[in-house]
Amino acid sequence: MSKVKNYMMRSLNSVCQHDEVEGVIRLMHKIERSVLPVVDDENTFLGTIYIQNILKNIIPERYGFLDINKFIYERNQAAENLNNIKGKKVKDYMSKKVISVKEDESMDDMASIIIKNKESYLYVVNKEDKLRGYISRADLLYYLLEVGEEGDESRRD
Amino acid sequence: MITTVTLNPAIDREYFVKENKPNLHQYIYDDEGVKVSPGGKGVLSAINLKNLGHEDVQNIGFVGGKQGLFFERLVQDCDITTNYIFTENEMRNNIFIIGESPATYTHYNDYTYSVSDKDINNFIKRFKRGIVDSEFIMISGAIPGGVSFDIYKELISICHENNKEVYLHASGEVLNLALEEQPKVVVPYFKHTNKILDKEVATIEDYIWAGKKLLEEGAQYAILPYECNHLIFDKDETYKVSSKDFCMVNWLGAGEAYNAAFFDYVERKGFDFIEANRWAAAAALVVAEEKEILLKNKGEIEERLELIEVERVSI
Repeated sequence: MSKVKNYMMRSLNSVCQHDEVEGVIRLMHKIERSVLPVVDDENTFLGTIYIQNILKNIIPERYGFLDINKFIYERNQAAENLNNIKGKKVKDYMSKKVISVKEDESMDDMASIIIKNKESYLYVVNKEDKLRGYISRADLLYYLLEVGEEGDESRRD
Repeated sequence: MITTVTLNPAIDREYFVKENKPNLHQYIYDDEGVKVSPGGKGVLSAINLKNLGHEDVQNIGFVGGKQGLFFERLVQDCDITTNYIFTENEMRNNIFIIGESPATYTHYNDYTYSVSDKDINNFIKRFKRGIVDSEFIMISGAIPGGVSFDIYKELISICHENNKEVYLHASGEVLNLALEEQPKVVVPYFKHTNKILDKEVATIEDYIWAGKKLLEEGAQYAILPYECNHLIFDKDETYKVSSKDFCMVNWLGAGEAYNAAFFDYVERKGFDFIEANRWAAAAALVVAEEKEILLKNKGEIEERLELIEVERVSI
């Protein structure tokens, strides 16, 4: 049985609930990610913080079909709002109700979870709910590619 | 989980050429002529531990710039858990040019990497939560620019506050200061200076002095590479760990194999200083007798175990 731990990315890039929003933005920028796991001081997985969680708190109206003057006004307003919240804590902007998967779960179970959920990443934890990494939709597709190739081979045999 | 710490990692780029000549423009067409791999003592030990069958091995430290993401992927490809602080500055690249005929080995060691105070603060926070699942932590290698010489002392102090033991592979002032925190095992490296605790070592008497001095200064156990052997020290005795009948091909990677195998033994069988060193010496011998710098499995260590002798040194 193929397990999550064979396909996951073993990365512990994470933030704590008492870290500041500015640090989250800087880390997301450096590692080119729009979501990070949130953990406590013992590395227990608590939830996620998405760039969207921050954006929706700083943009007064959604950017849409705006004329250029309104866009600049809103951009300045967003920058000012961000300046006001950048020192606030992650716990105020994180999503707590987030599904995680265990590293020993089967990839087939993971497939149904990831398809039913909107999350682009599922965070992987061990038996004690300590963060161990993440698994993405791309990892799921890669797994399915392998399953397909195995099927082709067995049909040829 | 086993944790190894690497504060100053590098991307190692090895180029294999027929002949390494200055002022000559050479083309490398063969894939085997270029090898890119993650470097750093803690990283190599982590890869060895993974190859020895440990499922959960973590490497924690700094990586820098856009190359940091590449480095992280190189390490993850070895199924090692990465726990890195990403810094603004680009990380190091070490260049190795290996000529076949005549046999030459040219190494450009990049020491340009430095980190900021903010990076260090972030690292300390990450380190505290990164070690929660580890009992014995390996801290090894050099430190990047911008990091104070007492960084290892601080890390060991954090480990001790959390009832964790430390295996320290360090040199120079960083080592001297770290001893105050009484790490469990100390393995100095000194090839570049030939000095331990600021004193030159040449004769066996110098080495024995250095080993005993390391214990006096705070280490509970000390391991010193001596010629092709090791001298190991506990509070009561000094032992020589040596190999009989071997053919040395290279010493590159032998130190990291030694450290990893010592850890492997302790993780599986508990802390037995002499037996862990015997196992570690057999692992170093595997690397010394092969071209490869990494261990592949436990079996190759077992095959060489009977070649290792441990004898008490009378002083």
